[in-house]
Amino acid sequence: MMSETDMARSSSATLADFDRTTSRWGQATMVTALLLSLAAPLYLVLTQDLGITSAMIWTAYLAVAAAFFVLWFVEPITYFPVLGPAGMYQAFMIGNIANKLLPSALIAQAAIGAKPGTKRGEFSALMAICGAAMVHVLSMLFFVGIMGTWLVSLIPNDIVDVARLYIFPSIIGGVLVQLVATIKQPRVTMIAVVMAVLVLFVLVPAVPDLAKAATGIVVLGTALLSWILRSRKTNETATNLVN
Amino acid sequence: METGLTSHGSSTDILAVANLPILWILVIGIFAAIVVQSLVYMKAAKKAAFAAGISEAELKVSFRAGAIAAIGPSLAVVLVSIALLALFGTPAVLVRIGLVGSAATESASASLAAGTLGAVLGDSSYTQAVFVVAFMAMSLSGAGWMLATLILTPILRRGDSRLRKINPALMAIVPAAALIGAFASLGIAELGKTPVHILAVLISAATMGGCILLANKTSAVWLREWGLGISILVGLTAAYVAHVSAA
Repeated sequence: MMSETDMARSSSATLADFDRTTSRWGQATMVTALLLSLAAPLYLVLTQDLGITSAMIWTAYLAVAAAFFVLWFVEPITYFPVLGPAGMYQAFMIGNIANKLLPSALIAQAAIGAKPGTKRGEFSALMAICGAAMVHVLSMLFFVGIMGTWLVSLIPNDIVDVARLYIFPSIIGGVLVQLVATIKQPRVTMIAVVMAVLVLFVLVPAVPDLAKAATGIVVLGTALLSWILRSRKTNETATNLVN
Repeated sequence: METGLTSHGSSTDILAVANLPILWILVIGIFAAIVVQSLVYMKAAKKAAFAAGISEAELKVSFRAGAIAAIGPSLAVVLVSIALLALFGTPAVLVRIGLVGSAATESASASLAAGTLGAVLGDSSYTQAVFVVAFMAMSLSGAGWMLATLILTPILRRGDSRLRKINPALMAIVPAAALIGAFASLGIAELGKTPVHILAVLISAATMGGCILLANKTSAVWLREWGLGISILVGLTAAYVAHVSAA
């Protein structure tokens, strides 16, 4: 029979082993996905003779980075306490964290009565994310990869062309309202809208060279002003949900 | 556009490049990475279950609960993805919207990238070259999240006190401001385009507003999940009617 201290020692060794395995494989699979996801557009840039210069790519990248670089760092920090280290490598590869993975993890923890932040909770969340990942992979491959491609080929071209033209405005309107409703920070929302109107309809027409940087300027300006003009009375809770 | 683009690069037949077989192969590779990861994790969890104070039966219950809970949200993502197929082709949609990113961030990145080339997503300026630059920019932006995860996770695991001591007020305000700032800017930029663009933004926004109000009133959770898909479809339908009747 093992003594109680031996049991504790062997179980902490088992858990250390688990941490090592999940970290190593989590990192390896994430790096693989990262490289494959970059390889796809890079292949097109390098082989398709479309006349794309590296300056075009860098300019586009800077515009996108200016809009999102704050979130690159803030989202992992925010989700870490809920996901745990192993779950981080899953979640940021599978995506759709706030709308799918977190609810799945919470439902699983509730189903077995495990508390978030405990080992039981971490394992339950991990299994739930595995389950969600399987459902997601299968439904994407079947309904989008196979059925979707076929469906789009059936729809008349003129409808597809119009859909292509107005898909972005049809997304952005809904996304914006959804964000405003989830984040519930009216002061920040007001600042963002005023900043965007001023930058897009006053600053850019006056200094057209700034057009490419417009969204980045709005993001930084909104972050800065929201911080300076924050309410000192209430304690706001952390929120951030795009992926 | 007066750039050095080849005649090929200025073709608007996006799907000719977007559906190349090699892209499908890379996509399958990414899906395989996710499946392998899940299998390794499940095996590791099973092995360490006892030490974590969880039974094998509870692991199974958790897996099943997670899978079932994901059905609704997954199908909602499917709907949004199908709406984007004509814009990006299937492989790019599977990787960017289905995995890694989300419809919101990826279409935002694409719109920003197209804007730097003086192009608008989906119209006659949206050429093969613009698509490829947008796809590259989306992928690099997605790489930002993955790299941050790869770098920050080991640091957070060690319980780095500096990261944990970040002012909570800062963590509440800056991400919210960055998010709303980015999407407000992109949404309001659409209002500077054609009247039909304006209509699409407003109808989609109003539909989402309706979905959220209704979800709050009736506590219908599915309305939250499907809100974006419904808003896109209603917005697109309104745009189609307006576009056709204006032509």
